[in-house]
Amino acid sequence: MKKFLRTYLPFASNELKRNMAYKGAFYLFTLCSLFGSFIQYYLWMAIYGSAQGAKLGSLTREEMVVYVFMSYVTSSLTMISVSRELGRDVVKGSVAMNLIKPIDYRLSLIAKGMGTVVYHFLIPGIFVWIGLELYKVFILHLPAVSAGNILWYLISVFFSFLIYVLFDFCFGMIAFFTTYIFGMQMAKDALLSFLTGQLIPLSFFPGIIQRLFDFLPFSSMVYTPVMIYLGRYRPSELCFVLGRQLVWVVLLYLLGSLLWKQVTKRLVVLGG
Amino acid sequence: MIQVEHISKEFVSPKKYPGLKGAIKGLFSNEKVRKTAVDDISFHISEGEIVGYIGSNGAGKSTTIKMMTGILTPTSGQCLINGIDPSKNRMENAQNIGVVFGQRTQLWWDLPLSESFTILKEIYNVSDEDYKDRMDFLNEVLDLPEFFDRPVRTLSLGQRMRADLGAALIHNPKVLYLDEPTIGLDIVVKDKIRDAIRQINEQYRTTVILTTHDIGDIEELCSRIIIIDEGKKIYDGGLAELKDTYGTSRRVTMEVRQPELFRKIDWEEKLHADESSIETELDDEKNLFSVSFDKNRIQVSDIISSVMQISDVRDIQIQETELSEIVKAIYRHALKGR
Ligand SMILES: Nc1ncnc2c1ncn2[C@@H]1O[C@H](COP(=O)(O)OP(=O)(O)OP(=O)(O)O)[C@@H](O)[C@H]1O
Ligand SMILES: [Mg+2]
Repeated sequence: MKKFLRTYLPFASNELKRNMAYKGAFYLFTLCSLFGSFIQYYLWMAIYGSAQGAKLGSLTREEMVVYVFMSYVTSSLTMISVSRELGRDVVKGSVAMNLIKPIDYRLSLIAKGMGTVVYHFLIPGIFVWIGLELYKVFILHLPAVSAGNILWYLISVFFSFLIYVLFDFCFGMIAFFTTYIFGMQMAKDALLSFLTGQLIPLSFFPGIIQRLFDFLPFSSMVYTPVMIYLGRYRPSELCFVLGRQLVWVVLLYLLGSLLWKQVTKRLVVLGG
Repeated sequence: MIQVEHISKEFVSPKKYPGLKGAIKGLFSNEKVRKTAVDDISFHISEGEIVGYIGSNGAGKSTTIKMMTGILTPTSGQCLINGIDPSKNRMENAQNIGVVFGQRTQLWWDLPLSESFTILKEIYNVSDEDYKDRMDFLNEVLDLPEFFDRPVRTLSLGQRMRADLGAALIHNPKVLYLDEPTIGLDIVVKDKIRDAIRQINEQYRTTVILTTHDIGDIEELCSRIIIIDEGKKIYDGGLAELKDTYGTSRRVTMEVRQPELFRKIDWEEKLHADESSIETELDDEKNLFSVSFDKNRIQVSDIISSVMQISDVRDIQIQETELSEIVKAIYRHALKGR
């Protein structure tokens, strides 16, 4: 374990440093995506304003505020793309430089992802989060989130992160077979913003489709942790959704190992 | 140390057609292009050897190195590096090897060089003491401190190459693979790199495999060379033997007092040689008379004494065939045999 940390921790800390070095571009990106969240917020408020009932898709107006901003925070912490880097490494042939070292390539990508998570947590995650809670307490006059919910939320976010990167790693294998991964990236991002509940809470979908989502890993990426944060699960349900996340972590890990083994056998490294 | 047995690599890639129409056609066709980059190559290398692995462009050198380092899986055949098969135990093998691809870097582009070294130290699990010893040695032979704190992307090619060589050695690997380590370097840096390689080999008995297009690297470093062409091994042996077998032609150039006397002489007859093994050339202006010949057929002393019978000789110069000429001849010969 100690050896493991010693080997992969530098990847995380370097990614953190690297992110900080290119902060200009990142601020702009953050601003744009936050702007998106505000648009979502105003849209929902307009919808609630004109709706009859107090609840839409089983969420109250106040819960929706929390949902919009917490899904932003959650997805910035969990949806860290590794397939982009994988694709780049394959196309440029720099994957070879990773294969000559005694490291597991996937773990190094995940460690790098962790570095980015820490960065996103600092900027702007924690600020949006605190801002949201302050807004909740002082403007909406609601109780602040409980420590228990925060704890379970953080655990769930960690699983979500693993599910996302492990899934994205499998997705990135496509890079080995086609040099056109970037178009597929866009399609994947668009599709996932739906399937994960980032755009619309999954509880808005008809019952039968929700059942389907239960059997896909995507709902575990954003929807589950945000609902945990909202305290929508009873203890037994909480155990179930966390357990389901863990199962996805294991399954996607195994799938990734299998694919990687197949792919590296056929790997061609370009150039040189 | 290194056993390569009947190793082959075949690349299969989808057939591409030119133009936009071709691109669409390519989408639906299933035709494949096969290219055998390495074709049934075997060799053994023992500990502490420095072996030059040479061949013309596209001969399959880099592909062989990639298979030996575990980056590519051979289509058939096997190699064992220190008893480990890199295609099966890549990680274990990686702990024992150092690799430099001259055209790429294994360093972290955005980070100061010092950081890259710290990361590598952790990755290879190098103890603090060993790290210090190694760094002292590397700093001395490669002059790293000059640019140790600069981000890698700001280094010049020569500095980056030194840094990369240092990075490949941080964990004291048993085998060092160098794929064109002197590409694009000036003479001084080249010398430094060669010196470093020699010292590492002497002090730590590191086995070195080196591909290069620079004959100087081979002459200065390698006692043994392996030549491949079109994926096939065409020569494997000592450098001295290579010169003995292929480099038998010599050239004597003499400055003579009366060059006009040499014009009418039939040298083949005079030296009892056949036409193919001798060639003469006369430079009237500089008074130079030169003879190229095969040293196994004709004695230098015979030529010189015959010349001296005709005219006084002021100066004599004897040249061996240069290694580059030999290598060129071998490449060309292989081309003809195709
Ligand atoms: N990924 C690939 N797909 C198809 N063909 C390839 C691939 N990689 C290499 N080749 C082909 O295999 C042959 C050997 O390539 P290799 O890179 O080993 O040559 P090399 O001896 O290193 O040449 P150079 O001296 O130019 O570096 C070349 O003909 C090359 O075009
Ligand atoms: Mg090459």
